[in-house]
Amino acid sequence: MASAQPLNNLKSDVLRLLGNVTVGVTLLALWGVLTLIGVVVEQGKDPTSYFASYPAPIARAILRLDFNDIYHSVWYLLSIGLVLASMTTATFTKVIPRRLPPHRAVKVDAIPLHDHVTIAGDAESVRARVEQFFTTRGWRVSKREIDGTIWAFADRFNWARVGVLVNHTAILIIAAGAILYWAWGFSGETAVLSGEASQIPQTHALIRLDRFSYTIEPIMTKGGIVYQPIDYVSHVTVVGRNGIPTPMIVRVNHPIDLDGTLVYQASYGFAMRFLIFHGRALVRALSGRALLEGDAFAIPGTGRSVVYERFVPTIDPRTHLPSPDPRVSDPGAVLGVIESGIPLGEMLVPLRTALDLGDGWRVVPERQVVYSGFQYRYDPGVPLVAVGAGLLLIGLVISFYFLPARLHVRVDDAGGDRAIVGVAATTVKGYDIFEEAFRDLIAALRQNQG
Amino acid sequence: MHPMALDAVLMVLALAAYAAGAIVLVVYFFSREEWTRNLGAALAVAGCAAQFAQLAARYAETHIWPLLNLYGSLSLFSAVAVAIFIAFAFRYRLWFAGGFLLAIAALFLAYGTTWNEGVMPAVPSLQSYWAKIHVPLVVSSYGAFLVSFVFSGVYLTRYYVERRLVPAVASGSTNDEVAGWLGTLPSLTQLDILVYRAVSVGLPLLTLGIITGAAWAHEAWGAYWQWDPKETAALASWILYASYMHLHTRASWRGLRCSWWSVIAFASVIFCYLGVNIWISGLHSYKV
Ligand code: HEM
Repeated sequence: MASAQPLNNLKSDVLRLLGNVTVGVTLLALWGVLTLIGVVVEQGKDPTSYFASYPAPIARAILRLDFNDIYHSVWYLLSIGLVLASMTTATFTKVIPRRLPPHRAVKVDAIPLHDHVTIAGDAESVRARVEQFFTTRGWRVSKREIDGTIWAFADRFNWARVGVLVNHTAILIIAAGAILYWAWGFSGETAVLSGEASQIPQTHALIRLDRFSYTIEPIMTKGGIVYQPIDYVSHVTVVGRNGIPTPMIVRVNHPIDLDGTLVYQASYGFAMRFLIFHGRALVRALSGRALLEGDAFAIPGTGRSVVYERFVPTIDPRTHLPSPDPRVSDPGAVLGVIESGIPLGEMLVPLRTALDLGDGWRVVPERQVVYSGFQYRYDPGVPLVAVGAGLLLIGLVISFYFLPARLHVRVDDAGGDRAIVGVAATTVKGYDIFEEAFRDLIAALRQNQG
Repeated sequence: MHPMALDAVLMVLALAAYAAGAIVLVVYFFSREEWTRNLGAALAVAGCAAQFAQLAARYAETHIWPLLNLYGSLSLFSAVAVAIFIAFAFRYRLWFAGGFLLAIAALFLAYGTTWNEGVMPAVPSLQSYWAKIHVPLVVSSYGAFLVSFVFSGVYLTRYYVERRLVPAVASGSTNDEVAGWLGTLPSLTQLDILVYRAVSVGLPLLTLGIITGAAWAHEAWGAYWQWDPKETAALASWILYASYMHLHTRASWRGLRCSWWSVIAFASVIFCYLGVNIWISGLHSYKV
């Protein structure tokens, strides 16, 4: 038993520290600062790019402290964890006891918001009239006899005292929703070529791209012509758990639901089919496969490989350079050639024309194949997050727009058929915020009963 | 008249009304002449009405939601800030602070006109009814925060002038004129409560703005939260204002420290609003 005491002391010290509002706000501020660091330091870049953008010691610090992926760093998770722990502790140790105070006697004069009104009549009848006055103004009046004195307590928006609880609970619910995704959710991306299909690995659902279409419009602006994408549409056939192929349409902002996994239109691009010749003969083993941008193939028997760098929708007929027009009219492919790991250079090759690779090898970009990039995501936490967000909003409105206040009223005989009404007011947000309303209320009481 | 010309005329009218109103109300701030207050208030109301008419005229002509670039969004920002201020000014008799607010609103509006790129339809990800809900909410919250920033400014001005002045008045080395003028401003306590009330408008709006943004992201990009620089910067501002709200429950923080906190929080709003758009690219630079 002897060792329980220090442990209990430690526990109560930790709870006191966590429940302290200043400590809580410091933790909140820390969370805010870490969040801002993630805005300023670009996230998820290649380590070398930090050395390119910052002096070496700062770049090293960024990498060592995980600021390059800050939102998944120990710091960040720890800051959120501490905020939640502090908030929960404060809720139990401060908010609940302080916000739901029992009715008790007070020294009226000792409370900054107080006043006295003299009213004609004996104490009993004045008390009844004053109670009536507050009741008609929407205050809920209750009476208690404490140490021989009768106190009337008038409460306003008493129910709104739970505003803080609603807010803090909402934050916990949102956190629970985020944890659900972290534990059981998944997401990913897949590029599906026209006429081909791709599987979502986690669910084995199949997405086949029947057709992809897009609209781009040239628009005259003050700065010159801008080619503005207007619409992207993927016509797909999906096969989900029920095994029935179902045609569907995916467009930006309109995901489809595949057995609970949402599939989104994310991007599009052009793959390229190549024909590869050696001498006059087509090398079938190498030809016909569609390459995505960035893919490469090796030329047998040489140290050479060819990279399909990117698709050029329109080659300007005058300059023979890529045109800014993203609509496909006279397309080409930018090919890179690599010799023993060293890039030799890039070439813009019009479609169906050959690039001579030496040693009798030629490559012909034959035909582009449009592909559609889909993002998929299964997130079982969404309903919780949505409920938490709704509660958070309700809680904020309660906290900001319904100020719970309590009037402590005692009526004492003043002799000569007069009574003195002493009123003191407390609120959950100090006195200043209620001062004007309190003065108005007392003035009205004076006028009404004086 | 060509409707686009109407758009420009209304914009110029609004700018002129704000600039003139700013001057007149700054005069009111110092002189307390009633006619300057009435004229300034009329100019503020006229400028604000011209701005909303301008946004409506632009939408009616182009059928393109006018808030999806900085030109339209800064216009709404200053219009909402002025509108919220007008409501506060009528309710709490605050026209004395209007000159500063109108001057800032005019600056933002003028800066916004440098982003007028003409008529551009929205890229697919912005073609969503969420754009019509999310953007006005967020921009309105920024407007409310601008109002709270101006009130904090008045608080701090009064606080520091008073601190300098009180010993001087006590020693008889200053005239009573300045002290008398100070007395016409609301008390420090009242100013602190005004800052709090403006934050009470802004924080629920920002919360709703972030929630609708998350709902939109869920629909457009597949995840309600992506740690995109814009949404992350908005989160940071949200955290700072939530901290403000907590600090305001402490008697020792109310007033001076909370006013400074609100100034810092507003700086983070401006970083989120303009800094991120201009310096940092992300999903909100609207690729797909
Ligand atoms: C570090 C985390 C937090 C701690 C320690 C904490 C603690 C507290 C405490 C002790 C109060 C009552 C203050 C009083 O009446 O004296 C309070 C109020 C409140 N809290 Fe928190 N809280 C935290 C995070 C949050 C968060 C993230 C929100 C979300 C918005 C929130 C929303 C509120 C609201 C709306 C109030 C009422 C404020 C008012 O009535 O003016 N809290 N909090």
